Amino acid sequence: MSALLTPELLRRLEQVQMLAARRAKSSLKGERRSRARGLSVEFADHRNYVLGDDLRYLDWNLYGRLDRLFLKLYEEERELPVRIFLDASESMNFGSPPKFDFARQVAAAVGYVALCGFDRVSVNVFPETGPGPEQAHRAALRSIRGKKSSMSFFQSLTALTAAGAADFNAALQRGAMEARQAGVAIVLSDFLDPAGYEEGFKALIGRGFQTHAVQILAPEELDPTAFGDLRLVDSETGVEQEVTFGRYRLKAYQQTVANYIQRLREYCAGRGVRFFSVSSSTDLGDLLLKQLRASEVWG
Amino acid sequence: MSFLSPWSLLFALSLPLVVTFYLLKRKRVVRLVPSTVLWQRFLAENQASAPFQRLRNHWLMWLQLLLLLLLVLALARPFFFGNVGQGALQIVVLDASASMQATDESPNRFERARQEALNLVDGLKTGFGTSSQQMLVMVAGANAEVRQSATSEKAALRRAIQSAQVTDSPTRLAEALRVAATLTKDRADAEVHLFSDGAGVDLTEFERIDLPLVFHRVGQRNNNLGIVSLDVKANPENPAQRAVFASVNNFSGASVESLLELRLDGELIESKSITAGPTNTTPVVFVANQSQDGVFSVRLTQPDDLLADNEASVVSLLPEPVRVLLVSRGNRFLEKAIAAAGPNIEVVTVPDYTVASPEAAVVVLDDVAPTEWPGANLLAIHVANTNWFEGGIGTLEAPPIVDWKNTHQLLRFVSFDTVQVAQALEVRTPTWAVSLVDSPAAPLVIAGELGRQRIVWVGFDTLQSTWPLRISFPIFIANSIEWLNPASAAAERLTLRAGDPFRFPLAESLVPEGTVLSARVKMPGGDERTLPLDSRAREFVFGETGNRGRYEVTLGTNQLVFVANLLDAQESNLRPSEELSLGRRGTVAATPLQRANLEYWRWFALAGLVVMLGEWWWFHRRTA
Repeated sequence: MSALLTPELLRRLEQVQMLAARRAKSSLKGERRSRARGLSVEFADHRNYVLGDDLRYLDWNLYGRLDRLFLKLYEEERELPVRIFLDASESMNFGSPPKFDFARQVAAAVGYVALCGFDRVSVNVFPETGPGPEQAHRAALRSIRGKKSSMSFFQSLTALTAAGAADFNAALQRGAMEARQAGVAIVLSDFLDPAGYEEGFKALIGRGFQTHAVQILAPEELDPTAFGDLRLVDSETGVEQEVTFGRYRLKAYQQTVANYIQRLREYCAGRGVRFFSVSSSTDLGDLLLKQLRASEVWG
Repeated sequence: MSFLSPWSLLFALSLPLVVTFYLLKRKRVVRLVPSTVLWQRFLAENQASAPFQRLRNHWLMWLQLLLLLLLVLALARPFFFGNVGQGALQIVVLDASASMQATDESPNRFERARQEALNLVDGLKTGFGTSSQQMLVMVAGANAEVRQSATSEKAALRRAIQSAQVTDSPTRLAEALRVAATLTKDRADAEVHLFSDGAGVDLTEFERIDLPLVFHRVGQRNNNLGIVSLDVKANPENPAQRAVFASVNNFSGASVESLLELRLDGELIESKSITAGPTNTTPVVFVANQSQDGVFSVRLTQPDDLLADNEASVVSLLPEPVRVLLVSRGNRFLEKAIAAAGPNIEVVTVPDYTVASPEAAVVVLDDVAPTEWPGANLLAIHVANTNWFEGGIGTLEAPPIVDWKNTHQLLRFVSFDTVQVAQALEVRTPTWAVSLVDSPAAPLVIAGELGRQRIVWVGFDTLQSTWPLRISFPIFIANSIEWLNPASAAAERLTLRAGDPFRFPLAESLVPEGTVLSARVKMPGGDERTLPLDSRAREFVFGETGNRGRYEVTLGTNQLVFVANLLDAQESNLRPSEELSLGRRGTVAATPLQRANLEYWRWFALAGLVVMLGEWWWFHRRTA
């Protein structure tokens, strides 16, 4: 069915549903409970009949008992917009397997779950300008709805490549602004932008997004294998950094990485953002079916 | 500004080396990484996250600490206590006499002196310039010997000092110091370093010489029992036997008991127990039968600090009949005295000495001018018409006897206290003889060796003096006959003091004309020496007699044995002296070790350089 996700995984993902902490605010109909009153099977309330109301919704039983006209109100079911922020910068190409592949798989899984739940999925790929042939796929990913669209969704994801330098904060800010309704935001990145990640998160949270962050790091970043006198070149910015690195400093480096992740985790926890940090070599099923479920991203 | 060691500036050559290290480009491997964010944080955290961190065990740190320590040590300019001479020319005189074998220092005095001399060599300032010093090495053993002429080369000086050997001979410092005095003459910047125990040293002759002497004393105590004299004679009570006279001197402050063994040609004959009181001399007499010529040895069994004087030997030749020809107009005293001189003496009296006179070993001329001069050894009494004396012969009336040499063999047990002389011949002592008895104006008795003829000359008529009535007269005559007897003279030649050359007259027929004969000498240690002798040689001389013991000489078909002994009371007296006496005028005090700048910082600096190189290597190895 898809190279991104195995059929077995897709089957299991069909059984889960995105959990929204808040009622949907979308203006389009869907399957999510919302505060809006409208047409559905879920009874919500009664109100006094006023001239012009549709007589089909009069509660005749109540009229019989009280001899007064009441109108039955039903909950309007609306859709839940799910917005996926996918980091497609050059740095995501690293790792074995590449971080970008892992990120696409997670994006595919999240999108599939959302599509199965009749929610609208939009994927914000940043940096926004990709190679020419990709543009159509990127445009196709801006708004997808319905399970039948999942195939084209997967194809578009597969067609993506990671290249260039990304501005993480700007990408999140733009995504927050262009959303008509807030919903669920899932950020897939390595969070290694020199400018930081705070502004981007602030914009999402401020717009009312229920935000989840998945940090994907390459195994080589967690446990470097290159030692000696090194001149490190940043794949995105081209910045050079000279480092003399020996095995005796490995622990210190790992501690630095742990500190960085912990700081990010604390930042997210303080703002109600669910945070996950994984290596690109992590088992995908473990992340999707255990960690995300346990954290009630979906259930 | 000046430098203590300008040559150290050569270390500056290592500066480019350090610069070279830094010129070497560190080869960095270029790696493309997803992001340098984590690395920047890593560097920031590990460089300045906190002023202090937990001390970790780094090899580099230890190397740097070691380097720093070495540099600090070098800067502190460490030095050791050592002997340092100040003069530009330093003359090292090593005493190699028998007393330097004393074991009161470890391992013995000589080794200690050698070590101190080597220390002095270490302290020698070498190099170019005015501060450079030179050193000359002399060894005063059996002979004074210059081992190394003046040089700055420490290796040669060390070699010369290392090769010096201690001997069994008495101290011959005076000879060495005489050479040193010549070398240091008119040099204000010269120093003579004498390494000695100061035992048995007589430096009276340097009373008037300005000798820049520095005395380095070795030796600590005086624990020695030694044989100081040994003689063998016919037993006076039984002429068929031999009597061995030995004197054992205890130089220590405590009474010592020991056994004294007598051996004849190595075979134990008798052993006597002796008890020597503190600083006392104990005479011991052994009586032994002897059937053939041999060597008597006496040995003390008690070990002490000096072994060289615990054994002594003497060559004993069997007495042979001696014919004494008395040329006299009649002198009963003399006749009786000669006849009583020994058991094997045959006296023949004649009025004049002519060609027809009988052969004799000793001729006595008593106030007689002989027709023919005898060729044998001669006792001439009141004989004036000779060609022995220069400047003519005068007459002295009643010359008083003011001095006599009772240390000479001829005057042993002879005293002239109560001897008056009516008239004597006035002569001057010839060069070949020594004066034994002196009046203020002229010698009265002289003795010496002219060619191979031994002569004793008495300058007055014994009948014109009170001497024949004194006990000293027959003793003198007996001593004279003994000394003049060619057989005893030959025996004397065979017993010598260590270090004295062995001389043996050769019969003309021994080496045929135009041939070369080699003489082999077997040394006490078992080594052999071979010396060539040609037909013109009239005497065999062997000088390598520094060690005591028995020497066996083979001359063609002839075999002879001679012995060398220490037998020196002064040398056996091991008491180290704090100062050397230079006659009545001056003394030289023993110099303690001088505190001196024998600096060793160069070695620390060198070690520091090595550590630095090691550190550099290590650093690059572990980061590679």
